[in-house]
This record gives sequence, C-alpha cells and structure tokens, in this order.
Amino acid sequence: MSSSDKAAVGTSQAPAEDLVWRADVDRSCRVPVGFFFASAVFWLLVGTLLAVLAAKKMHTPEFLANWEFLTFGRIRPAHLNTTIFGWASMAGVGVLLWLEARLCRVRLPLGGLLVAGCTLWNVAVAGGTYEILAGRGTSVEWLEFPYFWSFFFAGVFGVVMVASIMMFSARRVSHIYVSQWYLFGSVLWFPFLYLMANTLIHPGALGGVVQAVANWWFAHNVLGLWFTPVGLATVYYLLPKLLGVPIHSYHLSILGFWTLALFYNWAGTHHLIGGPIPAWLVTVGIVGSMMMFIPVGTVAINHHMTMRGHFHRLLDSPTLRFTVFGAMSYTAVSVQGSLTSLRMVNEVGHFTHYTVAHAHLGVYAFFTMVMFGAIYYIAPRLFHREWASARFISLHFWTVAVGIALYWVGLTLGGWRQGLMMNDPDIPFLDTMAFTVPYLWSRTLAGVLMAVGHVVFAVLVWRMVFGPGGLRTGPTLLRPRVAAGGEGVDA
Amino acid sequence: MVGLVIGLIWGAVAVFGLTAVAGLVWAVQHGQMERFAEGARSIFDDEEPVGEATDATLRRPRQSDPEMGPEHKEGA
Repeated sequence: MSSSDKAAVGTSQAPAEDLVWRADVDRSCRVPVGFFFASAVFWLLVGTLLAVLAAKKMHTPEFLANWEFLTFGRIRPAHLNTTIFGWASMAGVGVLLWLEARLCRVRLPLGGLLVAGCTLWNVAVAGGTYEILAGRGTSVEWLEFPYFWSFFFAGVFGVVMVASIMMFSARRVSHIYVSQWYLFGSVLWFPFLYLMANTLIHPGALGGVVQAVANWWFAHNVLGLWFTPVGLATVYYLLPKLLGVPIHSYHLSILGFWTLALFYNWAGTHHLIGGPIPAWLVTVGIVGSMMMFIPVGTVAINHHMTMRGHFHRLLDSPTLRFTVFGAMSYTAVSVQGSLTSLRMVNEVGHFTHYTVAHAHLGVYAFFTMVMFGAIYYIAPRLFHREWASARFISLHFWTVAVGIALYWVGLTLGGWRQGLMMNDPDIPFLDTMAFTVPYLWSRTLAGVLMAVGHVVFAVLVWRMVFGPGGLRTGPTLLRPRVAAGGEGVDA
Repeated sequence: MVGLVIGLIWGAVAVFGLTAVAGLVWAVQHGQMERFAEGARSIFDDEEPVGEATDATLRRPRQSDPEMGPEHKEGA
C-alpha cells in the first residue's frame, strides 16, 4: 500500500451524497465504458499503422507494392474506416455514455447489452476492414465497409440510443446542461443518418451523381451530427470542471447548440462544387456552411473567455492541454471549412492535399485531441488508479501536437500550391506531382510522430486497465474519501 | 427515381430540422431557457464546487498549495 493509499484510508470522514452518487455512476460505467475505451485504443493503433503505410506510399509508390492487400487503394480506406468507426466512434460512445450518466446523475443502464454491443462493434470493424483489404470495399467514401456490416453498427447505435433515452428519462436533475443537448442530439440524429445513407447507397438504389449527393450529405454529417456534438459536449463539461469556473456565457452555449442543430446538416453538398448537380443544391450547402459562423463563433468566444486568466493551468492538467488544443482546433477547422465552401476558394483547394489537411484538422486536431483529454480525465475515475507516468503523458501530448501541426501546415501549403498549379494549363501534371513530394514527406514524418504518441498512449491505457497494484489516489483523483461501506470514492 | 432519392434526402433534412424545432419548443415550455446562470453552475456541487480544479496530474506537489489536500501532495 502506498503512502497515498494509507492517507486515503486514514481519511475516515463520511462521504457526502455527491461523492456517493458519483462513485456509483462511475462503477456502473467501469466495464462498458472501459471496454469501449480499450477497443478504441486498439483500433487507433491499427489505423495509425495503416496511415503511416499509406503516407509513405504517396511519395514512394513502389513501397510494399507487390502485395495486393497493401496497395494504396485498399490501405487508405482501411485507415479511414478503422479510425472513424474503430477509434473515434468507440471513444466517442464511451465518453458519451459516461458523460450522460454523470450529467443525469443515474447509473449507466444496459451494461451487459453495451458490452455485447461493443464486442459486436469490434467484430464489425475487424470484418469490414478485412473486406476492404481483400478488395471488397464499396468505394463509397466513409462507407467503404460492405453493406452487411452496417447492420452491426446500426444495432449497437440502437442500444446506445435506448440507454441514452433511459438515462434522460430517469435523470435526477431538472436542468438540462448544454452538454446533454449536444449528446442527445448526436444520439438521436446519427443512427437515423447512418441507416438512411446505407439504405440509399448500398443496395444499388442510387448511382452516379445522385449517389455522390447522398454520400457527401452523409460524410459531412458524420462530422457535424456525430463527432462535433460529442466533442463539443465533452469540452463544455470538462473545461469548467477542470478550471473550477462556470462557462463564460451560458446563453451563447445554448445559442450555439440550437444554431448548429439548424444549420449543420445543410452543409454537405459544398463537397460537390463543380460537379454535375443542380447549382441550387450546391448553393444551399454553401449557405448552410456560412451560417455555421454563428455556432462556431459562440463556441470560440465561450472557450476563449472561459480560459482567459487560466492559461497557466495548462501546465497542470493533461486533460486541459488536450481539450484546449481540441477546442482551438474546432474553431480553426470550422472557419476554414466555411471559407473552403466558397466557390472561389474551393476551385483551388478541391482535389488537392489541402482537403486532406482540413479533414485531419477536424477529426484529429479537434475530435481526437478532445477524446484523448476525456480519457485522461475519465479513466482514473473508472479504475481508481492514477496514470502511470506524467512524463509519458507529456511525451504523448507533444508528439501528437507537433505531429498534427506539421501535418496540417505541410499539406495545407503544399495542397494550395498544388491547386494553383493544377489550374494553370501551362504546367504539366507531372511537374505538379513532383512539386508535392517534399510536402508528402512532411506528412509521413508527422505520421511517425503521431504514431509514437499513440504507442505511448496505448502503454498508459494498458497500465491503467491492467496495471499492478490496488486503488491509488493522487493528482487526478485529488481528494480521496472513504464511503460508508469502506470503499474509497473519488471526488 | 432521382426525384424520389432527392426527396428522401431533403425529407431527412426536414426531419432533422423538425426534431430540432420540436426540442426547442419542449425546452421553452419546460423552463430550460430560464435561469441560465443557475444552469451554468449545475455541474458543480458541494464536493466539486466552483473555484476548485479537478485535475492536476502534471503538477509538481507544493506543500504551500491551498488547492490540494494532503493526500494529493503525498501521492503526486
């Protein structure tokens, strides 16, 4: 028993009611949420390996070119789907369930079903990835898993939706905090979106440009109606809790949610600027994208003003570092996205590495960083352990932060120049391709940096879940208490 | 067929919008748009009050630090 353990046991005051319900909620989440987190980290490693291989193939196409399953056309969608449906969605579901239970102040229901669902989800990601690598991907971007596997995801989403409704119905608080609005929105909207897109696209009901319309309506809304609400809900909960100050303007936070709900799902067709579809359809997407300045502005003001005067706390808390990095990236990617939807900008950036950089700014610099921060906050409360190494946490942060910054800067600059060159009929296409090679090397270097960070993170999570020793208390759990039954509960 | 598909897609968009509007009406009717200052503080309580940070994983312990209990200083 460590000295801190002894200190915990020695603190024999009776726990307050708030400590008891929080410990109870965390206990109910331990297995299901822990399973989702562990699975997410596994798929993060798989997706990262595929990403680094794909990045290297962009500037060294002969690399591992003798195996069909390792060709770029298979590795790239395998990377996309393992990170989207494996890492990001599984981490998102875990965080969503924990946050909802905490905000509703009720135990997480359907624990057994959620564990079974997580198992099925893993099977579906593994099966779908195998099919892509075997050459049976659908070639529909963001929906490359064959149709069969979508039923697995839909089923698990259904369980998550039912669990969310049960918690919402049984909530022990009258006020619905802004994070709950975001979470409930994502839980209600995304399963419908996912089922509809799969049903429209995969059975062959759609073809040609109409398929592309449905495809990009779906793909953009994966960000807008799934990752964005979950990510922002997490920031709106963690930022005030970490700092110990309420959000700067609660009015703005509510306005931000409702304007996101009204505007975001119109924006997807801006991906088809220049395509052979009705001009009004694209224009509606552009208008929706520009209207997004309203919710993004509310979030940016709120995050910055809440942090003002507290930036020194970034030194103390890994969760705060990752969360603030993610929140700032949300503003950046949203502003960039709205501007990129304009025809005059899009005609340069489209079909270049600029778009790839933008996508990673959203899914990685925003959402993934927020998920890292959330897991750093939640896991000690689930497992009653401290993180094994503060140095490893710092190493994780700096490798991924520098990595994604390098990635975005390199591909944005290179991609924009690439677009300008491709629009110039006097420049041979091969010259344009040769020009991008140094920028593609920066992408590989960035990928390796992020891969190092992910391995470090995986080691930390492994030690958290399976590490030696019993309950420990310290700088994350802060103030240990002893429950009436003798079990330590964290504050 | 194309008309049907476009109709379905925009129908879905309308469903999303109507869901949001229905939620907004419900929120107004149930007092969720009132007492915002109180709402902002609803995630705090007696054990995790306003003014108290809830994570200091990377902080080096300082005995003079008033924010942290003695257990934290020992366990950091």
